[in-house]
Amino acid sequence: MSQIYAIVKKEMWQYFFSPVAYIVLSSFILINSFVFYVVLAAMSKSASPPLSPMALLFGGTFFFWLVLIVMIPVITMRLGAEERKLGTIETLLTSPVSDFEIVIGKFAAAFLFYLFAWLLTFVYVLILKAYGEVDLGSVFSGYIGVTLIGAFFVSIGIFATIISRNQIVAAVISFSIMALMVGMTFFTFILGSGKKEFFQNIDLLAMMENFSKGIIDSRNVIYLISGTILFLALAVKSLEARRWQ
Amino acid sequence: MLNAVGLKKLYGNIKGVENVNFKVEKGEIVGFLGPNGAGKTTTMRLITGFLYPNEGDVIIEGYSILENPVLVRKFIGYLPESNPLYEDLKVSEYLEFRGRIKGLKGKNLKERMDYVVQRCEIEEVMKKLIGSCSKGFRQRIGIANSLINDPPLLILDEPTQGLDPAQIYHTRELIKSLSLDHTVILSTHILSEVEAICSRVLLIHKGNIHFDGSLDDMRAAFSGGTQLKISLLCPENKGVEMLSQIYNIVKFTVIPSGDEKICSFKVTSKESTNIREEIFWKCYENKIPLLEMSLIKRTLEEAFLKMVSEEREEMQ
Repeated sequence: MSQIYAIVKKEMWQYFFSPVAYIVLSSFILINSFVFYVVLAAMSKSASPPLSPMALLFGGTFFFWLVLIVMIPVITMRLGAEERKLGTIETLLTSPVSDFEIVIGKFAAAFLFYLFAWLLTFVYVLILKAYGEVDLGSVFSGYIGVTLIGAFFVSIGIFATIISRNQIVAAVISFSIMALMVGMTFFTFILGSGKKEFFQNIDLLAMMENFSKGIIDSRNVIYLISGTILFLALAVKSLEARRWQ
Repeated sequence: MLNAVGLKKLYGNIKGVENVNFKVEKGEIVGFLGPNGAGKTTTMRLITGFLYPNEGDVIIEGYSILENPVLVRKFIGYLPESNPLYEDLKVSEYLEFRGRIKGLKGKNLKERMDYVVQRCEIEEVMKKLIGSCSKGFRQRIGIANSLINDPPLLILDEPTQGLDPAQIYHTRELIKSLSLDHTVILSTHILSEVEAICSRVLLIHKGNIHFDGSLDDMRAAFSGGTQLKISLLCPENKGVEMLSQIYNIVKFTVIPSGDEKICSFKVTSKESTNIREEIFWKCYENKIPLLEMSLIKRTLEEAFLKMVSEEREEMQ
């Protein structure tokens, strides 16, 4: 456990030493604030808006997915690829830690960074609350959705960076996997019934819509958690495999 | 302490090392010697568990590195070749990270950090970024990392590579002082380094261990016959004529003396002959005064080159 803590702490030092952390955080806030503003402005024109502004922030616009599949590769790409490039992977893999602890440490660091970024959006909830009623239940489930989808995507990013030597390659691999995962939603339009149901169950857009409306569906939760575990397991195995190369 | 048994490592179809067997006892300083590409780094990576062997096993303090990898790595302090470090961490942050990842915490971590900082003399750079430290300091930071959890075994891959002469001297002194408390395995392609530090040498060449023994054993094993330097008070042609008459001399070369009246030679004799006595009597016979006769101690360098070149001849 203390080894995982050591890795998380070190990754945090490195995040906040480089400009990457600040650029990612400010772009994230900039884009989300823009969306928040537009959503608020649009809704204030209608007498009875169909959705709460927070619901639109959580997956209601295409910006949500854009930010996710660009930001997560950026915050994960360095974690494994740079260790390989600098050669520090040699001191890391010869330390008394298991490959599992290394992967979990790296995952935890990126995931905490991601959660920190979303924590900043809580300001919007406070703003809304100051001017009117907010359904805290659906806000809460929205954050649950953001957390679970984030964990899934961060695990994809960790897997990509562990298998790459180059940060850009890692970013492109994770971006592509995430884009495909999000793109599964199209099969629900083009396929006939029978095959369609399968894709409805793994449709991330529909999942996020549920979360933002306050619905926590156990199928969605299980899908996202098992996806996270799958990619983390692949990352551990890839790390182990490099000792046999 | 360490027992490497039948190690074999293939990179695809290319042989890294094969049939590597050796034991290291507590308190030894073992030098891994070999030309570049001989398999030194591969062997070090196998005994630190960075790579796993295709065949064989490494036993450290009684535990197999394949069966108890995490436990065994606690016994090892490792300085990899080219000493990779995180450029964007401060030295203090780096050492704290390395200490924690090796299981140190709290007061213990602080004590060990203070100890390695003082031992490796890196106090003045503690607040600096690693990326802005000089090569000599970086090397000491790398050694400090290998020492931080006080492991019984230190494995240093080319610890003086790329340093200037003063830094090399300091690093060697540091390693020598460390060997009082730790068993040390280091690799180098520089023979004088082995001569300066090690008590035992393992010669590795083309992925196999060619020699395992003390420095004196190695000199003896590869030196062949005796070499002498002699100086005679006579013209050069006369000296050449005399030496050609001695059957037991394998070869001799002229050493320019800078004085016409004196000629000097480097003489190599056949093995196990008492060449000095023969030369003395020959000089007496020819009435040539013998001004100097001294034994040339063969350096390891020559022994090493001899071994590598013999290998080449065999190949051809």
